[in-house]
Amino acid sequence: MISANVSVLDGSLYFTISLLFVLASFVGYFIFLFTGNKTISKVSFGLLIVGFIIQTAAFVIRWIYAYKIGIDTPPLVDLYDSMVFFAYVLIFGFILIRIFYDFDALGFIITLVASLALAFASFSPIAPSTVEPTIPALQSYWLIYHIMTLFVSYGAFGASFGLGILYLIKIKSDDKHKNSAGNGGNNKKHGGFLSLLPPANIIEESIYKVVVFGLVFLTAGIVIGAAWADSAWGGYWSWDPKETWSLITWLTYILFVHARFTKGWGGKKMAWIAVIGFAVVIFCYLGVDLIIPGLHSYATPGSTPIL
Amino acid sequence: MTMFSKLNKFFSSIKLAIFLFISIAVFSMVGTFINQGDTESQYRTIFGPQAYHVLYWLGFLNIYDSWYFIGLAVLLIINLVTASVNIFPRTLKAVFGPYPSFNEMMDKKGPKAAYEIIESKKNTEEIKKVLNSKFGKPFIELKEELYYSKNSIFRFSPFIAHFSIIIIIIGVFLNFHYGFRSYTNIKVGEKTNISYLTKNQKPIKLPFTIRLDKYETKYYPDGIPKSYISKISIIKNHVSVATKNIEVNHPFTYDGITIYQASYGHYKPTAAKLLIVNLKNRKSKKVVYAEFGKTYNSGIDNIKFKFIPYKHPKKDEIPFFIELSNKQILKFNVLPYKKQSMPLIFAEYHNTVFLYNGVKNYYYSGVEITKNAYVSVIWVGSIILIIALFFSFFFNHVETWVKLSISKDGKKTHMEILAIPKKKFESFYKNFNKKIAEIKKDLT
Ligand code: HEM
Repeated sequence: MISANVSVLDGSLYFTISLLFVLASFVGYFIFLFTGNKTISKVSFGLLIVGFIIQTAAFVIRWIYAYKIGIDTPPLVDLYDSMVFFAYVLIFGFILIRIFYDFDALGFIITLVASLALAFASFSPIAPSTVEPTIPALQSYWLIYHIMTLFVSYGAFGASFGLGILYLIKIKSDDKHKNSAGNGGNNKKHGGFLSLLPPANIIEESIYKVVVFGLVFLTAGIVIGAAWADSAWGGYWSWDPKETWSLITWLTYILFVHARFTKGWGGKKMAWIAVIGFAVVIFCYLGVDLIIPGLHSYATPGSTPIL
Repeated sequence: MTMFSKLNKFFSSIKLAIFLFISIAVFSMVGTFINQGDTESQYRTIFGPQAYHVLYWLGFLNIYDSWYFIGLAVLLIINLVTASVNIFPRTLKAVFGPYPSFNEMMDKKGPKAAYEIIESKKNTEEIKKVLNSKFGKPFIELKEELYYSKNSIFRFSPFIAHFSIIIIIIGVFLNFHYGFRSYTNIKVGEKTNISYLTKNQKPIKLPFTIRLDKYETKYYPDGIPKSYISKISIIKNHVSVATKNIEVNHPFTYDGITIYQASYGHYKPTAAKLLIVNLKNRKSKKVVYAEFGKTYNSGIDNIKFKFIPYKHPKKDEIPFFIELSNKQILKFNVLPYKKQSMPLIFAEYHNTVFLYNGVKNYYYSGVEITKNAYVSVIWVGSIILIIALFFSFFFNHVETWVKLSISKDGKKTHMEILAIPKKKFESFYKNFNKKIAEIKKDLT
């Protein structure tokens, strides 16, 4: 049975409300894809901003609530909190991109991923929203910084995933048009939402920039995690599955950075790495806990730390 | 090609780097699906004897210490060093010169280059002023040629990033070689100087003795543990040299060896805690940890007693009693106590009361004892890495050459502008076109 994880007290109700706004924004962006109606995209962006503000308030309420019930470190460590934080960072990143670039076409993927994360948090029985006291190992500021930096990077990788998909769609249709237009150039206009996409080169550059932004934070997050492990677990690195998968994620994106220097690795392959890289991120974030259960020594009753 | 240049090409190639990234990722992955560091018998029951032998032979049961995993790390270092050495001269030249001339670059400009021609009637001085306002201070200013270079110093950032990886890997090897991770349990009140290596359970002798003075678990109101606290003393040459509370997340380092709170537990209780109170003189209290069957002195009127279990306790009856030295048997009574949930359980003899106060638990604290040698090398490398990554990614080196030539009639100046970015970003071309448009506007 699905039961909603909502409560006014701990702020989780407001996350669920924000889900409605993000979902509405997604519907708007989706319609925008097919109609290209700028008003709709503006309304969608407005809805998203409202959702973002509600989320900000929800975090404040939740953190104050946690503090009141005697928990000194902000609640970020369990699955619910990390999910909503991920959605928050992703939306924040998109708002920034949208302010600086005319990039409405990205909206539908961002809002889709954010809605999925928020819906998962709000309705999944494995992600209860109750604020639980944190067990001793998780009472560490290292841990809080660790999670925050990692989620900034996950948000960036989520965005690069969206960009990668857009790039692949764009390139495919560009190729098609080139072929059908023969040697006479490709002045023929794309139909529908493809015409709204920025040129492939610009998407390519933004994939790089978003990925490397995420990579700096991922590196910092892993190092901070090692510092935490060094003060809590008896060593900076233990080859725990979670740690190991974070290294695999890191190597995937390091590969992305270097693949550019090899001959024949054009934008298309880079876009594929960005898409695959996000699958690795998701596995590291959720898969390790769900598929390799029991090995993850951090999992303890009351809280499922997601690092 | 000579042997040397062939080897050099192989070891410095990015293809090898990509192969290494993928191999390290794949072998790491294997280690997350096969539990690492279990005992042989555990593996035999999980995989069966045959599969166990295959996995053992492949090194999959201790993959992160296997020769080929370490080999991959060594290969990565060699790859990094040779690649860096190979491109270092080129980078030095790009940063400090001698810088190539316009004509040289025109001949070998690649697909990254942006090229424009502008004509102007203004004089050379004015033209140069406008160009400088767009491209910055020229590195080289000749009569007919200008060279600009932006962000050139950041060409070193990838070197520093690569160098920091070498520092980190060296730190890891040093730590692996000179450090250890071990584990031991200490009973409250007892001491030990033996600890067991995490990787193979072999005992090692510590350079000092650790005594566990006290152990305590603190709880949140709803019963979830809040902190595990062990008070430990370090003893050297029979003298206690340090005493400290350790908690999870708050280890204690002495002499380069760090002691972490890792777990706790208690052994099976062996004694009951009895509080003996004299009703006439309430101040006279005594605690006795009574084991079954042994004789103790109550300390009151010299009464001696034994604490004995019933062989076949009836239902709802307290399953033990007290036998005095005169063979008299005292049964325990239960008195519900208003505030506490636990009722009072007591036995009485004249003015002496035996209060049953629970069983005695022998707590032990599981501590992890590690020598984290050279971790600071790893931290330093990591911090350099993060900073170097940032500067590698977000600063694009752009070189611009401008060649000026005066037309035959001497009225017009002909400008050829060639710009080459290190990274082929669309924003660079956009920016370049914008600058060209502005220059055109200013000079025509
Ligand atoms: C393992 C960790 C490694 C890290 C963190 C790393 C980091 C970096 C970074 C940040 C860049 C700059 C990329 C950019 O500007 O987009 C770079 C470039 C490069 N890396 Fe690595 N790298 C690693 C391993 C390797 C290895 C094993 C090789 C061996 C071939 C290698 C060879 C290169 C080369 C040739 C460049 C181009 C440098 C240039 O053109 O200035 N890297 N690396």
